[in-house]
Amino acid sequence: MSQLNPFKAKVISALSLITFVVIWQLVCTFKLVSPILLPSPLQIVDTVLDLFQNGYRDAPFYQHILVSTARAFFAFFIAIIIGVPLGLLMGRSPVLNAILDPFVQFLRPIPKIALIPLVVVWLGIGEASKFFLIFIATLLSVIVGATAASQNVPQGLIQAAQTMGLGKASILFRVILPSSLPEIFTTIRLSIGIGWTSLIAAEMVAATSGLGWMIINAGSYLRTDVVIVGIILLGTIGFILDWLIVKAQQKWAPWTGKV
Amino acid sequence: MTQAFIQLNNVQKTFKQNKSENTVLKDINLEISEGQFVCLLGPSGCGKSTILNLLAGFEKPSSGNIYVDGQPISAPGIDRAVVFQQAQLFPWLTVKENIYFPLKQLKGEPKYITEQTEYYLEKTGLKKFENHRVWQISGGMKQRVALARAWVMKPKILLMDEPFGALDAQTRILMQETLTKLWQDNKTTVLFVTHDIDESLLLADRIILMAGHPGRIAEDIQVNLPHTRTIENIAPQPEFIEAKKHILEIMRKEVNRMIDYIH
Repeated sequence: MSQLNPFKAKVISALSLITFVVIWQLVCTFKLVSPILLPSPLQIVDTVLDLFQNGYRDAPFYQHILVSTARAFFAFFIAIIIGVPLGLLMGRSPVLNAILDPFVQFLRPIPKIALIPLVVVWLGIGEASKFFLIFIATLLSVIVGATAASQNVPQGLIQAAQTMGLGKASILFRVILPSSLPEIFTTIRLSIGIGWTSLIAAEMVAATSGLGWMIINAGSYLRTDVVIVGIILLGTIGFILDWLIVKAQQKWAPWTGKV
Repeated sequence: MTQAFIQLNNVQKTFKQNKSENTVLKDINLEISEGQFVCLLGPSGCGKSTILNLLAGFEKPSSGNIYVDGQPISAPGIDRAVVFQQAQLFPWLTVKENIYFPLKQLKGEPKYITEQTEYYLEKTGLKKFENHRVWQISGGMKQRVALARAWVMKPKILLMDEPFGALDAQTRILMQETLTKLWQDNKTTVLFVTHDIDESLLLADRIILMAGHPGRIAEDIQVNLPHTRTIENIAPQPEFIEAKKHILEIMRKEVNRMIDYIH
């Protein structure tokens, strides 16, 4: 692949995006598509302003955004805190791996929407069920990634640590954990993507606020403009999250891809 | 019975492969005295690295006993430092942090840690690079860090598994000199695995020449060359030429035996 300097690449991406929006606007201005099916970009800007001023369905707009990000962040946080150490341990202990792996592998491919009925029966329709859906989606993927990461730690690093008198616990926290960091960050990126996706599923459960709920609710009133605003926000927040993790990876695992 | 500093008694190591057994080491008896620099020399697959792994405690012998300073070996320990072919440094630490990592681990006095770290940074020529991350330095530099990190622990024995095997010829000469200097300073007992005859004659007091299938000791050679050696001043010496010729002859015999063994 030939090289493209980063500035040029950014200019090309920006032009591509602008061209897309312009074509979209033109399609709407010349009424090639009904405004109910596809509102124009200008209309969407109006909708955003309106949402900021008047909120959506009795709640301020920022509240929908905050509620969703708070739910997701909390679930991500707990999933990472539990998933990373558990995955690292599973990668180093064949017995623990043999015990837990069947559950992880069975649950992981299940679309989390399928769990909604059970989750509602078990946890009710409050915040607990929403938390659980995002949490479980993120957790399973974090565990799988962290397990693989700890299995990929070079044997030589562990042997070197053994000759320095490190015991099993020290090796886990002072060698395996830092050595797995590059892969763990990549795993967290993928897992948060999956967790963020399941936000919609979570907010299908008797919610009255949140971006996921707003999209579903607006859909049933044919407010496609609000639906599109919601989708753009989900995409943007997801993008920012991903960017933050990449920055964290560069800061705390700067050797990623270099050893 | 008096025991040697390092003692291997009838050590045998077999690995199970599918249903067949592969004897990597057979009847190894070896005694090494304290302060000796011993090279294990031999072709790939002769079991020389396995002897090192057994001494390090990474593997256990199938039968026989191994003692270091009177103690039986069953697990890795701080009395036996290892330098690997790949430096195996911790990429999240700087050069300096890698060197003092084992001392911190052993909960040494801060003053002692600083002193020792400075000493080995100087000795290995790494002072200028102390704050570099280890992924920013060359392969030779990395191996210097590995040497310093092993020596700083003041181990009873230093086990080195072809540590310069992956380096270019110039860097290797520099590293061999650094190693010789370090060794002359504190005469740690060294077991150095190599397949390079010149390297073994340059470094060792004693060469254990090994042969394969099954791995065993073919000959135990004393090296009687003066102690400050460089490859250019020992190469023309009759002792060097004699010893190299002798080693090559034994290797030739082994090669012929191998050919018979294969056919």
